[in-house]
Amino acid sequence: MNAGMGFKLSHLQSMLLFALLISIAFGFLSRRQPIERAKYIVWSLLLFLLIGVGIGWAMYPFSR
Amino acid sequence: MADETTAPVAPQHDSTRDTTTPGALSPDYRHETMAYVIGVAGWLVPGLGHALLKMWGRAAMCFLTVGTLVILGAGMRGNVFSSRGNDAFDSLGYLADLGTGTFYLLARSLETGGADVSHAGGDYGTRFLATAGMLNLLSALHAYEAARGRKA
Repeated sequence: MNAGMGFKLSHLQSMLLFALLISIAFGFLSRRQPIERAKYIVWSLLLFLLIGVGIGWAMYPFSR
Repeated sequence: MADETTAPVAPQHDSTRDTTTPGALSPDYRHETMAYVIGVAGWLVPGLGHALLKMWGRAAMCFLTVGTLVILGAGMRGNVFSSRGNDAFDSLGYLADLGTGTFYLLARSLETGGADVSHAGGDYGTRFLATAGMLNLLSALHAYEAARGRKA
């Protein structure tokens, strides 16, 4: 891979990927049963997205 | 006092250790050493610590998530910090990147064009790389604790 093959991701895509990967990792590390893992991953992903978008909107008035 | 004189006296040393041959390592010492080896292995190669403990799902998850974060971070031209940092933040970033173990070398080899944090993608890439390092350290610590039998 070189500089010309760099990934071009939007803010939302980057946040989604980040939240998904970290949620999966946390789910696997902290839970043993598959159902518990799935619940944890979904819950963690939703919270990541909710808080991320929430902070984004909270910063919006100060962006200009 | 009467209680002290009649109470059974605890042995001064563990009698089971007398049966071990001189120079042989105790099982506790070997167990602890093995836990350290597993922790270091998990840091050097993401997922290897869990693989040595036969926790295949966690091993695969660790390898894939850390690997994906490193490839994405380097592909987005994030900053792969070196030891020659200019300030404390560069040094902290270097420590975080080193957390990926051998994948740090992979990130450096992938990012031949150098970092470009003039756009949001590069900034995200820097965070992806640092997060990969922290995640791998957390995973290695988890493998170490599991090897010691504290949790799994």
